[in-house]
Amino acid sequence: MSTPKTHLIGASLPRPDALGKVTGAARYPADLIRPGMLHLQLVFAQRPHARIVALDTSAAEGAPGVAAVLTAKDVPYNAHGLIDADQPALCGDVVRFEGDKVALVVAESKEQAEAAAKLVAVTYEDLPAVTDARAALAAGAPLVHAELGTNLLLHIPIRKGDTARAFAEAAVVLEGAFSTSWQEHAFLQPEAGIAYVDEQERVVIETAGQWLHEDRRQIAAMLQLPEEQVIVRYAAIGGAFGGREDLSMQHLLALAAWKLRRPVAMQWKREESMIAHHKRHPFDIRCRWGATREGRITAVEAEVIADGGAYASTSVEVTKVATLFASGCYEIPNISVDGYAVYTNNVPCGAFRGFGAPQAQFAAEIMVTRLAHALGMDPVELRRRNIYREGSLEPTQQPLPEGVSALPVLERCVEEARARLRYGEPRESDVPSAPHLRRGIGIACGIKNVGYSFGYQEQSTAKVHLYGKAELERAVVLIGAADVGQGAHLILRQIAAETLGIALEQVSMVTDDSGEAPNAGSASASRMTLMGGRAVHDAALAARAKWSAAEEYEAEAEVQFHPPATTPLDPMSGAGRPNYCYGYAAQAVEVEVNTLTGQVRVLRVISVHDVGRAINMQQVEGQIEGCLAQAVGYALLEDFQVRDGHVLTPYFSTYLLPTALDMPPEIVPVVLELADPNGPYGARGVAEMPLVPFAPAVAAAIHDATGVWLSQQPMTPERVLAALSAMNGQSTAG
Amino acid sequence: MPDSMPALPATPDEATRQTRIRLTINDTPHDLSIAPRRTLLEVLREDLSLTGAKPGCEMGNCGACTVLLDGEAVYSCLVLAIECPGHTITTIEGLTRDGQLHPIQDTFVQYDALQCGFCTPGQVLALKSLLDRNPHPTDDEIDRGMAGNICRCGAYPKIRAAARALARQQP
Repeated sequence: MSTPKTHLIGASLPRPDALGKVTGAARYPADLIRPGMLHLQLVFAQRPHARIVALDTSAAEGAPGVAAVLTAKDVPYNAHGLIDADQPALCGDVVRFEGDKVALVVAESKEQAEAAAKLVAVTYEDLPAVTDARAALAAGAPLVHAELGTNLLLHIPIRKGDTARAFAEAAVVLEGAFSTSWQEHAFLQPEAGIAYVDEQERVVIETAGQWLHEDRRQIAAMLQLPEEQVIVRYAAIGGAFGGREDLSMQHLLALAAWKLRRPVAMQWKREESMIAHHKRHPFDIRCRWGATREGRITAVEAEVIADGGAYASTSVEVTKVATLFASGCYEIPNISVDGYAVYTNNVPCGAFRGFGAPQAQFAAEIMVTRLAHALGMDPVELRRRNIYREGSLEPTQQPLPEGVSALPVLERCVEEARARLRYGEPRESDVPSAPHLRRGIGIACGIKNVGYSFGYQEQSTAKVHLYGKAELERAVVLIGAADVGQGAHLILRQIAAETLGIALEQVSMVTDDSGEAPNAGSASASRMTLMGGRAVHDAALAARAKWSAAEEYEAEAEVQFHPPATTPLDPMSGAGRPNYCYGYAAQAVEVEVNTLTGQVRVLRVISVHDVGRAINMQQVEGQIEGCLAQAVGYALLEDFQVRDGHVLTPYFSTYLLPTALDMPPEIVPVVLELADPNGPYGARGVAEMPLVPFAPAVAAAIHDATGVWLSQQPMTPERVLAALSAMNGQSTAG
Repeated sequence: MPDSMPALPATPDEATRQTRIRLTINDTPHDLSIAPRRTLLEVLREDLSLTGAKPGCEMGNCGACTVLLDGEAVYSCLVLAIECPGHTITTIEGLTRDGQLHPIQDTFVQYDALQCGFCTPGQVLALKSLLDRNPHPTDDEIDRGMAGNICRCGAYPKIRAAARALARQQP
């Protein structure tokens, strides 16, 4: 695509929605609740696996203010899910995790709904629960979905070359075992919303989400209504990070409004949100890496197991992404990776910023650094020799999509690290006054796909209306794209204004109503700037051409943009073209390890990203910095604990989130603009990438500081101390 | 909360279990009849439609419900409404005067010190409380002063940049 001189592309314009957000005027879902609405309260299973023997709602129905108690029998089609419809809206026979829902109490007030929910009497027969992914694969394990006959949701092998021979010929072979834990999205706005039936017999749900049209599809299917009879509208969205991609309560709001023909409202408490919505997958990764003396990585073998929890959600896709990235961003001739997604009676897992890439590359990047050490080679040099270049073959045996910038991104990172962190120079004593404080530097790379993968029919649709006389006066852009805080609405508006050659103020956006705006696809996979932006760009060009040609004062055009097609992975070899675009990242991290307490402070971060083209530089930086905040939590702090299927950390008092004090004092976002061939003005995505290299860079920095390798995420003080004392014990013994 | 609370001018009504109180919010007095167990956050949102204070955790962990009580940032989810008569309450809605943004609000917009915006009213008020008692905070004082307000989008660096800019502007 041509990139003419621009006036709005790259401009750090303030976001128009900021005004409502700083004054408190912005209306989030819970702010829509009005007097006179019925209130909903769910009855959760609170046990990991059980058969419902009896469900008695009579006492609840007779309680003050109760309008109805809905159960499985009230749900027209009682199954939903982003890929497989395997999750009941309300469970009728079996509950499979503690956040499963068994009844929905509808009452005149929130207090009455809560009181009546306690009167719903459920008699359970507890079933054996399986709460470990490896145990779930063992013969005779309890089955989460008995009708499937297995807990295995997906096995995907990737085979390339001849690993047996490569390992036999390798000069160095290292093994590793890694585990990562759940991560909670913890968007600050807990799930909430309202629903009602309008005068046209349409059920209207006003809530927060990431994809209007997918919410609508699943809700319409559940209510057995035509999609046009379901309207999903998004209020201001209080963060998402993948955590609003699955339905949580949207369909239940719709169900109650449809059944009772009255406006209804629901607002989850934090602990309800923590227990009931999906999480980032925990992974168990065992791997073996081999390299030649010259520093050519020749073989990777890995077993990658994801605990998907009780329902399918997007586990299949997350696991494929992790399997694809088990060998990182390196061209390795011999690969044998097996990815498994497994059902357990734990909380279901699905999308979370990074979508399998952070877990896989936690293992891969640590292995690359360990290999370099074993070879006596600089870890950067080993990366440089093996990193993806234009035309490199992926593990799936196809060339990478055009626009491979992994090497320039790494080189820039090293350059910045030398200048700012004095990377590569011999270090003097770290903190002379405090010998227990040890500093170290780590570098890691990362890759993450932009957009949907593996043969998914990826699309984004936008419509542009133009009005004017001699001159173009104003434009209306219609695109059902969720602004979850990333600033998508401003980005799309900047692209429209730029493409039409008019001022930002002349463009208005219609974005938050499934009945008005066309389907942009989800705000996920770092895709909205590339996909939504390209659809807006192309629709603007098409409308402009019509407007110029016509005598009329109005013109409109709708464009559905399709990126280059991807393919499913071959079920035997994994061969195929998995993605149409990647984002490349590299980070250098300086940490200070307190060897007495095990605490790790991140002092400085250099985060380098090829974004193709920054549409709004301030927002690109905001994405990098914000994603790093979540990366700090993921690497060091956020310890989501589940025991025997019960979440032990359902509050912010036990699940600790990074505050201002946990942020690295110095963050240097570095933005490269190496145009993507498909993105609008060359833009590609950036939202997830900073999460990918961060944890392994911190692990490498901890190793640099202390000599120990951590292999479990999060790298909590307890784990750091345990590793230090194990090393000291060994060196004492030895 | 201030150490010395004045005697509560609350009037319990046994029949309805409601208590009549007068709250002064954003300089406006409001006469209310409420159940004694209700938090200031609930009363602000449900009785007065002041929805700028947000329920994020309702346990005093996140700071999204921050308001000013006699100028001090407090979690309104941890304050009972009946504790508040006689005190001055400022919510985010009270910061804008005659349609003019408060300088903190304006600086947040300029510095893009927000993403989803859900925590923003609380961040703005926490910073106001900090700057009112310490007009020229160091970076460390800014971080400590703001540590009670979580921003899950991670706008912290830009919030700090906004705070620094405001400190520079202060006399």
